[in-house]
Amino acid sequence: MKFFTPFRKKSPWVLHYNAGSCNGCDIEILASLAPKYDLERFGVINTGNPKQSDIFLVTGPVTYRSRERLVELYSQIPEPKVVVAVGSCTATGGVFRGMYNVEDGIDRYIPVDVYVPGCAASPQLIIDALVKGLEVLEAKSKEIEKPFKLFGAIETIHNKLSRLNMATKVEPHAKD
Amino acid sequence: MKKTIQIPLGSQHISLLEPIRFKFECENEKIIGVDADVGFVHRGVELACTRSFEFKQVGYVVARVCGLCAITHSLSYTLAVEKLLGYVANDRIKYLRMLMVELDRIHSHMLCLAHTAENAGFEALFMQIMGDRELIMDVQEAISGNRVQFDYISIGGVNRDLTPELVAMIHKNLGVLTSKIDALIGLFDNNWSLSLKYKGVGVLRLEDAYTYNALGPLARAAGLATDVRAETSDFPYEDIGYKMILESSGDIHARNFLRLREIVNSITMCQNIVNNLPVGEIQEKAKGKPNGEAVVRVEAPRGELFYLVRGSGQNMLDRVRIKTPTFSAIPAMIEVFKGAEYADAPAILASFDPCMSCTAK
Repeated sequence: MKFFTPFRKKSPWVLHYNAGSCNGCDIEILASLAPKYDLERFGVINTGNPKQSDIFLVTGPVTYRSRERLVELYSQIPEPKVVVAVGSCTATGGVFRGMYNVEDGIDRYIPVDVYVPGCAASPQLIIDALVKGLEVLEAKSKEIEKPFKLFGAIETIHNKLSRLNMATKVEPHAKD
Repeated sequence: MKKTIQIPLGSQHISLLEPIRFKFECENEKIIGVDADVGFVHRGVELACTRSFEFKQVGYVVARVCGLCAITHSLSYTLAVEKLLGYVANDRIKYLRMLMVELDRIHSHMLCLAHTAENAGFEALFMQIMGDRELIMDVQEAISGNRVQFDYISIGGVNRDLTPELVAMIHKNLGVLTSKIDALIGLFDNNWSLSLKYKGVGVLRLEDAYTYNALGPLARAAGLATDVRAETSDFPYEDIGYKMILESSGDIHARNFLRLREIVNSITMCQNIVNNLPVGEIQEKAKGKPNGEAVVRVEAPRGELFYLVRGSGQNMLDRVRIKTPTFSAIPAMIEVFKGAEYADAPAILASFDPCMSCTAK
């Protein structure tokens, strides 16, 4: 763990998931990876694989059909991990708050470390959030973090914690 | 024994900006059947427009249907309500609205080109086009105050005016962009490795485009002359130098090339708008409550955007129906995938420029 910490800080890999956003924050994430703002100078690479990621960038209020995927992606990212909620609607539901297919923010499902305000969040803010997220990442340990809803049990197999069942599908909760 | 294998693409994938799931039925490398699932980002905007928001607020809510073509959504809604209120905007308002729509089209097309390049494996070109796109984003930010979700259009006018400094900036940035687009046209036409990935791949034939109701750049790249800008008279597009642009081959190369040529046309239009801006107020009173039913069509970057607004003289509307270009184009997209190689699927998908937030609303 100690050995890998400096590398993680120098080169955090990012997983991006759209949980029902309007695309506005997604294209700002792309723009912040592109030359003018250039997140890649911090070693950030956008990867499609949760198992290689350190930072989880989520956009959008969680829609009914994306919540299982959100929780599954979250539980597949190895610890330590940081969740960054990009955009107003990701933090609180924003303009979509109260719509019938929307869950008003991702922090009902997974613990969030950094919130980014704005509709759409500007690339400068996204860069700030990632830098802030790196500080959080450094302070975190290998301890398993759990989603709040929609996940299976964490078991002990051969004296080791196993999360094989964590992403199994469980009965969805009623909308509260 | 079953001869085919099923390969999924999505709902979360590196080549996708947004969740969509395809199930490809493949025979060796060839795709023979496609099943598309587009409803991951359904939020329920249409219902909320009639239950939670008053008609004056809805213009800003429907902008959040899609971040890429937000301006066309708020424009179509505003036009529909203005029709119901019996209000006709003056020329300056019309020109300013057209300016923002064309700027939005340029940046959306450039994003699509960048994305197609990335999905064909040309990462450096992606970076280059995204860098050039910032010229337009700067102009949009300077005009409207926000980079993406600029709530620029309101009922009865627009929210900000052009200043002489802004006009100078628009001319400067568009001038720089013109030379960059010229270089890109040469690159897309002559680059050998790009032609391997693009030419003859993902072909939509003219009769298929006609049968499956293709729209926008997808149809025009196949040679089908359909463009709402030429068909409706809400805006004086002929006065500012609009030209219908058509390609004939219908493959990814044609779609990319069509987008590049449309960008050139849009740059000319923006320059003409700024040079010939009429004098007038930018915000006028549009009185009353919407009563009756209005239908509006506007050409979004991806094709025809259709709005139906029905009101009964109250603050709340009775119905807002949004039909988005990607939704109408899905049958044509599925037809293109059949017979293609699986390895080309991400590039073909990106060349459609699909917008799932629009589709699912």
